[in-house]
Amino acid sequence: MSRLQVRKVRRNQTIWPTVMFTKTDHQFLDEITGKPEVKTSLNIPSNSSEFTLPVYIKAAGGKTFLIQMSRDWDVARIKMFIAPKLGLKVEDISIILAGKSLADNLLLEECDLGHNSILNAVKLKVVKKDDAIPTNEKKSGGTPFHQDKPLCETLLDLQLTEEEQKLLHKSLGCSSPEYKQKKAHFYVYCESPCKSVQNGKLRVRCSLCKAGAFTVDRDPCCWDDVLRPEQVSGTCQMEGCDHSWAEFYFKCARHPSQGEMDSTLPLYLVKSNFKHVQCLACMDISDPVLVFQCSSSHVICLECFQQYCLSRLNERRFVFSPNIGYTLPCPAGCENSLIDGTQHFKILGGEQYQRLLHFGAEEYVLSVGGVLCPQPGCGMGLLADPSCRRIQCTGGCEFVFCRDCLQGYHIDECQPNGDGNFQSMLTSTEYVVDPRRAAQAMWDADSRVTIRVTSKPCPKCRTPTERDGGCMHMICTRQQCGFHWCWVCQTEWTRECMGSHWFG
Amino acid sequence: MAATRRLHKELEDIKKSGLKSFRDIQVDEQNILTWHGLIVPENAPYNKGAFRIEINFPAEYPFKPPKIAFKTKIYHPNIDEKGQVCLPIISAENWKPATKTDQVIQALVALVNDPEPEHPLRADLAEEYSKDKKKFMKNAEEFTKKNSEKRPSD
Repeated sequence: MSRLQVRKVRRNQTIWPTVMFTKTDHQFLDEITGKPEVKTSLNIPSNSSEFTLPVYIKAAGGKTFLIQMSRDWDVARIKMFIAPKLGLKVEDISIILAGKSLADNLLLEECDLGHNSILNAVKLKVVKKDDAIPTNEKKSGGTPFHQDKPLCETLLDLQLTEEEQKLLHKSLGCSSPEYKQKKAHFYVYCESPCKSVQNGKLRVRCSLCKAGAFTVDRDPCCWDDVLRPEQVSGTCQMEGCDHSWAEFYFKCARHPSQGEMDSTLPLYLVKSNFKHVQCLACMDISDPVLVFQCSSSHVICLECFQQYCLSRLNERRFVFSPNIGYTLPCPAGCENSLIDGTQHFKILGGEQYQRLLHFGAEEYVLSVGGVLCPQPGCGMGLLADPSCRRIQCTGGCEFVFCRDCLQGYHIDECQPNGDGNFQSMLTSTEYVVDPRRAAQAMWDADSRVTIRVTSKPCPKCRTPTERDGGCMHMICTRQQCGFHWCWVCQTEWTRECMGSHWFG
Repeated sequence: MAATRRLHKELEDIKKSGLKSFRDIQVDEQNILTWHGLIVPENAPYNKGAFRIEINFPAEYPFKPPKIAFKTKIYHPNIDEKGQVCLPIISAENWKPATKTDQVIQALVALVNDPEPEHPLRADLAEEYSKDKKKFMKNAEEFTKKNSEKRPSD
């Protein structure tokens, strides 16, 4: 009987000739098509070797098989199993995972494989470029190349400095199960389906043809090697592709792989807290934690990080950096501590992250001299001619308004109280409306009144500002403005204000 | 909630440390965000009495600073008639989430003991303090005796 399953069967509705469906195969079809059994399969303890693991084998010609492997198999056993299916000799087959050709004696459970992980089975190309690219042993700075180990093993140490690794080895002992468990992990934010921070798996593909059948010349030795293009060379094992640059990417380690495109950005500031450093905010010791890029490497737990971001987001106090985007510094106020990977804000969750993107776009529009459409529910960002006061919300709600007072466009001077049209309508003799009725029939009257009663505009940028206590010294909360002004005088804050009415 | 967990821990630490200048800490079990306590200054003229304060922590604590208000009237250039106090360590622009409440209290006690007339909240008292210290001391002592709380006996 065959336990092979062709992945493309399901997609293309054609039947691969060598496949025989057994009952188990049908169950697996159900699993990979997302029927409820998936949940049960996820509950299988990952460290249990008595359960089998469904793994895709991707062959050189693009054929893909799903095979059931026992967790105690070694690589040689896999080769023997798949050789007849591929029509290759066992000794010609190489199994590639995450940039490495796996050694025969390596056990499956030593690799960080998950449900539906993909192994590439190819006939290795003869490497003819020894002269062109220095081998790894010779290359200075690179870690020695371990062919026998999957990349994940050697790469996890990327998370730690040499000193930290020593400390960890010393405190736990290399072979203890606790060490294996505590060992550094990569972390990712899985947007779908997990919607949370999860352990990540590092994978490698050819940066040109995106094939997973790619072997690297050396292990990456720092985050730059992984995050930047064209840092680590290698050999693409696909027929007809001679490309030699590796591309690293990350997958969520929790959910069954949903194919090669199921990748996500690494949260490189999130680390295993094996040193038991307490969170700077709640003082609890959590794991994992986020480590800021400041010189003190301040630590914050993920829950407090969410709260920190949310409180800054609600106050619109994210910082706009031309190189990074809309971001935040270390909350301890350290210099040069802006988070330079904005994917870390995905930890906030989908809805708040969208809000962050929205605010970021608005701040950008304002920072380059643009205007936001004032129509309720619109807010379209408009980059209009700076010399022109008449602005039309082109491509949005088409509202035509005045740049200065943000009311409907008018030829005369702006009305000081901001609702000129309404005022003139009330005083008009041609068409008289009962003022009380009119007052009840204003579309967004409540919020306008609230804003007018409880806030004062920043004298510089006109942002309505509420004073919720404290002294009269106001600092505009809009990141690009930050104007110091006096709540009483509504002009720039002076020493005179401090002397005469600092606290009212 | 991070605020609750941290405040429980801070409260425990402060109670354990047994500060002489900040006593009688009372916190409603239902609302850890409001603390009451008694400031017991060492320097004249405030060493004739003690002063009740209220500390209010925002829900976003420690990402936003706490607010402090005096519940006992005090004759002090940096504390106004409403009990508002200007303490740089808890101003929005200086606040750091890593700052602990005991540091805030120590800064407050230091300010009560040694007024800073150059950053006054009450210009009249600051002027008196700078120009006629003797008169200020006399007035402040009288005011303290009349309005302040009893100092703890131990």
